[in-house]
Amino acid sequence: MKVERGRDLAKITWGSLAILACTAAMAALPWLGVTSYVRTLVYYGAYFLALGQAWNLMSGLTGYVSFAHGALAGIGAYAVVLALNADLPMVISLLIAAIAAGLASLIIGVTSLRLKGTSFTFATLFLQELVLLLVRKLPFAGGPGGIVLEEIFPLWLPHVLMIAVAGGATLLVLVFRRSRTGLRVLAMRDDEAAASAIGIDATRVKIVLFCASAAIAGLTGAVHGVFASSLFPNEVFSIDLSIIALAVPLIGGAGTALGPVLGAVIYVGLREILQVLAPNLHLTIVGVVLLLVILFMRDGIAPALGRLFRLKDRRGQVPAIAEVRA
Amino acid sequence: MSGILTVVDAHKRFGGIHAVRGVSLALNSGELLGLFGPNGAGKTTLFNMIAGLYPPTSGRIELASRDVTREPAFRRARAGIGRTFQVCRPFRGLTVAENVLAAIPPGSGVGDDRARAREILDAVGLLPKAEDAAGSLTLGMLKRLEVARALALEPKLLLLDEPLAGLTASETSDLLGFIQGLKARASIILVDHNVRQSLGVCDRAIVMDAGAVIASGSPDTIRRDPGVRRAYLGESAA
Repeated sequence: MKVERGRDLAKITWGSLAILACTAAMAALPWLGVTSYVRTLVYYGAYFLALGQAWNLMSGLTGYVSFAHGALAGIGAYAVVLALNADLPMVISLLIAAIAAGLASLIIGVTSLRLKGTSFTFATLFLQELVLLLVRKLPFAGGPGGIVLEEIFPLWLPHVLMIAVAGGATLLVLVFRRSRTGLRVLAMRDDEAAASAIGIDATRVKIVLFCASAAIAGLTGAVHGVFASSLFPNEVFSIDLSIIALAVPLIGGAGTALGPVLGAVIYVGLREILQVLAPNLHLTIVGVVLLLVILFMRDGIAPALGRLFRLKDRRGQVPAIAEVRA
Repeated sequence: MSGILTVVDAHKRFGGIHAVRGVSLALNSGELLGLFGPNGAGKTTLFNMIAGLYPPTSGRIELASRDVTREPAFRRARAGIGRTFQVCRPFRGLTVAENVLAAIPPGSGVGDDRARAREILDAVGLLPKAEDAAGSLTLGMLKRLEVARALALEPKLLLLDEPLAGLTASETSDLLGFIQGLKARASIILVDHNVRQSLGVCDRAIVMDAGAVIASGSPDTIRRDPGVRRAYLGESAA
């Protein structure tokens, strides 16, 4: 047990240091003379990573699949633009965006997370559509024509903020997953009835996690709102973003801190290639990649690589695919 | 001896099925009560009502004089009811040690809790398996892990749901000895369909059939009860 504890601490320490170093390096890109193309790629990688980690914190750790993270990010984007246009400071506006998304998550979380099974997933799909309909009807949100951020901010600002949100979300998942509460959440994911029998209030845990996860999605959307400056409801609340939010961790490895990082890199890479080769098919092809990962790597690339390296360590040679899957 | 559990006139209906019919029982501190009956007798339904998996349709359940009738399972666990499941339900994604650690109520600090998890695993004989995946254990070990997880709650009352089912003869003998030793830690209700096998370790027993109690008393009383002998022990059993 002490060895295990030591191993846990070492993993958290080295993982945290790696995340902080990568975050600092990526955040410094605007001042390092890299091309705007590379900066944009890194920005979108961080955007999808932050959104993927937000989804991961709830759905990856509890097993309750959300289709609302795109909508929650959209709520954050609208909230920040409305707040900034009302001349509120940036920090307050970002805070409002996170709180708005958190509150929206409570609407469906409090009702559907008392139930098991697919109720939550259907409720999140409902939220996604409901928010789109509502925003298109709200005059102060610009209706179907959308809204525009009145003040133009320097491009480095959303870049640095997005990298910070992505790094922070990754760090949060890394530390939380190895905490006592994280352990109890993983137990709950395995068997909710057995978790209740050891004193875990599963409903409360799920609601709190969904709320925290929504706040991160809202913050991510808010930063992207500052980056994009113009918000159109059909784009902001498109189901595509919710699908990307779940595809990124599922490809990389849901429930792990590293998984969404790999997923985001793969997704951004695929997106860049496919935008040239098959511009309208990129989500379809991402879907195919996701299916292949589920078929051949069960729980994503990161856990599959983990098993591969463990076997390699043990035997000093690369195992057959069949052994890795076993 | 002080009362740990009191069940008063508990009924449970599932639609048209009357699964438990007016069962009352009392359990004292340090007592091991056997709850027997054939499949469909209502013992697991009664057991699940005590554990809080579902509330009784009518009646009252008290734990150490506190009315817990309408409290959900997680509150009853925090109040001191530890349970095992008929079909083992380990947290398969966690190690054996993590299964126990997850059950220790948070608050005493991670370092102390890990030491406690180690002690509990040692007590149930699973310490050498501490770092193994819970899903890799044999059935006998899984039963012990379930008991270890329940003990991590420091329960006043331990509910053991058919812990002997599926075990070999030597595993059964080991586990019965172990269960008898647990009386020092908690009061126990042991559910089993095999009266002959488990009665030897019980202080008292209740036998159910068709949702109602048909016999109760000391192991000797149960052994001598003609209805129980006819139904469960066979006429040749003495």
